[in-house]
Amino acid sequence: MSTVASSRLHPRPGDKPPVFVKGVNDGLLFLLDEECPMDALLEHLTQLLHGDTASVFDGPVVPVSIDYGNRELSAEDARRLLGLFMRVENFLIREWGAHTAARRALLNTRGAMTGQTIHKGTVRSGQRVVSDGDLVVIGDVNPGGEVAAVGDVYIFGRLAGIAHAGIDGDERAIIAAAELRPLQLRIARTVSRPPEGEGWPPRTFMEFAYLGPDGMAVERLQYLSALRPR
Amino acid sequence: MGSAIVITSGKGGVGKTTSTANIGTALALLGKSVCLVDADIGLRNLDVVMGLENRIIFDIVDVANGTCRLEQALIRDKRFDRLTLLPASQTKDKYALSPDAVKRIVEELKQSFDFVIIDCPAGIEHGFKVAVAGADQAIVVTTPEHTAVRDADRVIGLLEGANLRNPKLIINRIRPKMVRTGDMLDIDEVVSVLAIDLLGIVPDDETIISQANKGEPTVVRPDSRAALSYRNIARRMLGDPVPLELLDEPPTFWDRVRRVFSRG
Repeated sequence: MSTVASSRLHPRPGDKPPVFVKGVNDGLLFLLDEECPMDALLEHLTQLLHGDTASVFDGPVVPVSIDYGNRELSAEDARRLLGLFMRVENFLIREWGAHTAARRALLNTRGAMTGQTIHKGTVRSGQRVVSDGDLVVIGDVNPGGEVAAVGDVYIFGRLAGIAHAGIDGDERAIIAAAELRPLQLRIARTVSRPPEGEGWPPRTFMEFAYLGPDGMAVERLQYLSALRPR
Repeated sequence: MGSAIVITSGKGGVGKTTSTANIGTALALLGKSVCLVDADIGLRNLDVVMGLENRIIFDIVDVANGTCRLEQALIRDKRFDRLTLLPASQTKDKYALSPDAVKRIVEELKQSFDFVIIDCPAGIEHGFKVAVAGADQAIVVTTPEHTAVRDADRVIGLLEGANLRNPKLIINRIRPKMVRTGDMLDIDEVVSVLAIDLLGIVPDDETIISQANKGEPTVVRPDSRAALSYRNIARRMLGDPVPLELLDEPPTFWDRVRRVFSRG
């Protein structure tokens, strides 16, 4: 599984491109950003499929899945979007919807992820621990230390450094810590800093950070299974 | 067969050289034979703090190059008969020493001394690697400041990488008043971040500066609070379970006057 073209026709610094193209088993999955304005999305897709980069998609017939996420589409919008794909000659449209099988398969591969790393000991300033699956740290992550995982990050200790979950772009990844007072939290491509000013209230429960509808959010670990049912 | 201990910190100016001189002298006063090794090539200081600068003829780089024998470079401190210094070179640059050469020298010193104490240069590059090469144990010095603690944390990680596990911690230059008002990190905070054994705490003490300028280790001054701390550190290194010193300032004249009046 690899990214065929993470289209960046209009590089907007700090902004994610409105369309992500992923290679899945035998075809292509187009993930359309659910928040960007409809016009920008249409313009971007037109450029991507029929502009300078169109030749990328040339070749034999390829099955295509298109996932528009939670966007509310009018009949007109749907016709225009779908029309752009149908005009590409070698595209065989297999799926069109909000929660396509291709998208679910892409995200579910997390469960089958190979590496699961358990790191025992303190992650100190200047050290970086990376896992290609979920990462469990038994110990503290000190300021200047960094932990990163393709999947979730669980820290049985104090997170005072930087944690990055879902480094390959999985927005459902979470970061949990017995004491969550990070310098920075990163999930997929979202970076967040704790609010400035007042100190940290003492806590006696484990918390986790996740990407909610309004960006980074923190909740008690008890609610993890409610938010991320398996 | 003695043991070799490197004194390191990452950050400069937190008191590595002062700690080396005072711990070494305190151990010598307790009857152990001690060799201080200055591994800060090009910026040697330990000889100045010890007041032995004018007796240097050969240095550690000469020993490594085979210009002289090890015994020729050793300077015996006449005030404390069990204390010896192996000085650094002031003229050569830091790449004049290799980790292997230092390892050989330290091994040889361990044959004839109870303690070989190595003063590490600031930083984490070549000089650091050279200084830790021959060590069996490490002491990390920090001050109660975020920058120093961060660097100490980095160094502890690097020491683990160099197979020097369980280093011991000295928190230096503590100002009890600032800790009490919350303007300085307190000891618990530093220890909880670094998560290694605390060997001792040393209060900020002007005597350290005046004694260093005089070329005499502070531990010989019975009236200095820092001297007491260093003597206790040396005793703990020998396995004596000395409790941590209290950080409260000794009562001033006016405190005593007030107390007398409040009693009446």
